[in-house]
Amino acid sequence: MTATSDQQRHAYVASQAAEARVNVELDTGDMILNIGPQHPATHGTLRIATQLDGELVVKADPIPGYMHRGYEKLTEVRTYRQITTLVNRIDWVGNFANEVPFVLAAERLMEVEAPPRAQWIRTILFEMSRIANISLFLGDMGVQLGALTPVFFAFRDRERVLNQIEAVTGGRFHPNFDRIGGLKDDLPKGWIAETKDCMETMRNFCDEVEDLLLGNPVFQARCRGIGVIPTDVALGYGLSGANLRASGVDWDLRRDVDSPLPYDQIDWKVWTHTDGDSFARFWVRLQETREATLIVDKLLDGLPSGPIMAKVPRIIKVPAGEAYISTENPLGEMGYYIVSKGDVGPFRVKIRTPSFNNIAIVSWVLRGVFVPDVITILGSLYFVLGDIDR
Amino acid sequence: MAGISGYVKGLRVTARTAMRTMFPNGLKRPPSPVKGSVTVQYPHEKDEPAPRSRGVISLVEEKCTACMLCSRSCPDWCIYIEGHKVKAPPRRAGGKARSVNKLDRFDIDYSLCMYCGICVEVCPFAALFWSPEYEYCEPHIADLLHDKRRLTEWFETVPDFEPYEDGAEVKVKKVPR
Repeated sequence: MTATSDQQRHAYVASQAAEARVNVELDTGDMILNIGPQHPATHGTLRIATQLDGELVVKADPIPGYMHRGYEKLTEVRTYRQITTLVNRIDWVGNFANEVPFVLAAERLMEVEAPPRAQWIRTILFEMSRIANISLFLGDMGVQLGALTPVFFAFRDRERVLNQIEAVTGGRFHPNFDRIGGLKDDLPKGWIAETKDCMETMRNFCDEVEDLLLGNPVFQARCRGIGVIPTDVALGYGLSGANLRASGVDWDLRRDVDSPLPYDQIDWKVWTHTDGDSFARFWVRLQETREATLIVDKLLDGLPSGPIMAKVPRIIKVPAGEAYISTENPLGEMGYYIVSKGDVGPFRVKIRTPSFNNIAIVSWVLRGVFVPDVITILGSLYFVLGDIDR
Repeated sequence: MAGISGYVKGLRVTARTAMRTMFPNGLKRPPSPVKGSVTVQYPHEKDEPAPRSRGVISLVEEKCTACMLCSRSCPDWCIYIEGHKVKAPPRRAGGKARSVNKLDRFDIDYSLCMYCGICVEVCPFAALFWSPEYEYCEPHIADLLHDKRRLTEWFETVPDFEPYEDGAEVKVKKVPR
């Protein structure tokens, strides 16, 4: 349009503005709602940008990276001993489990194997950190639905597990106990009896949570049939851990992969559920916690005697090569791909964390659900922010 | 009706826990929630941390030779060491005079420390020990830099060595940790 006078120009602007107003009034288009980064239901700084049509979620994008700490790059300028203390901080609620795959990968490169007693103690602490991690989830899932009691029960009983971990390693959250070729120290006197008592407490806690939540009609209504992930989708998105087992895939790295950890020497069971909904994910994790307490009991019974450290040089230089070891961490498959060039520190470390792959499915599973269910589904997928961003 | 039993089950757990907290001595005795609770009223009563707990690092000044191993292996370089050489009398009569490292400064900045314990582990002369003490918070962050004198004072709180569980073949260390 060529404006011939000021009057015409003003008339044109006014007509455009009126048109825009009409458009605004008629546009029932989608609303963008950011869930996070500071939302209390997201366990940390994960931002989920959801596009809403009324109460329905049309589109949801997980946006991680608010807590990126650059561990993969940091490992390039640290020695192996210093890295174990760094990787403790990846999944901070399942603390000890983070260092095990790293140390196993480094041991494979060095071609040393820790003595049996060290491997057994490692596995005991590994399972105890699984209990500490998942019991937090069991309580937290109630909070997502507005039930405050289970989380207090969880913190009460989880404290005992952390105390037991502290009594051995010296650190509640950052044990830094694994060494290449074994462990830092042996168990203190009286620890085994106390741990068995602690495991009994945890089994009671599991029963309590089962009574509190599983049978509750509100819990059932909010979780059954919500956030269903079919088997093929779960496999396609690369889920791992309890999220995958809740979708009916019988897959557990503790049993399926040949590792030096003595899981093959005791009897235990992998729990699966066929429904794939939020309830199934909660149920599988509950059974897993109970199973983990039984595993700890059996391992404590059969604990072999012997040294806890293999012969390794004082200054550890890992020979050149590449190794990938993954273990079944509380949240899923966690793996370290170490590239070594024969130095005191690795050349490059790729850290495969379970939460990062598990939240990839968020954009699929949140499509078409209601806003309140977003919180339950996110809660039932169970991620730890440090594990996503590392 | 199936739903009702679910509620009742949950309420029973809550009620049981409340009873255990309020009446730890049984219903016939007066309630004592202080005894039944699992929390600790911190400044008045204190929880005892485990002897291995990594609370604060203490220094034995006479054993330190300023070799800088701890300072170099610290992941965040929070140990500051300075020293100088002094002439010491010879070990045997008629021998050559030795030169010994004398420690001038040994500071640990607890505002940076990650409590990983690598410095304690690498120390070849057993001059560093962990103590489970944890009460050293400061209103100013600069005061968290503990100097030689303060680190030496922590040594009184280092616990004795505790025995191992049966089946352990680790050599029992004579020195406290």
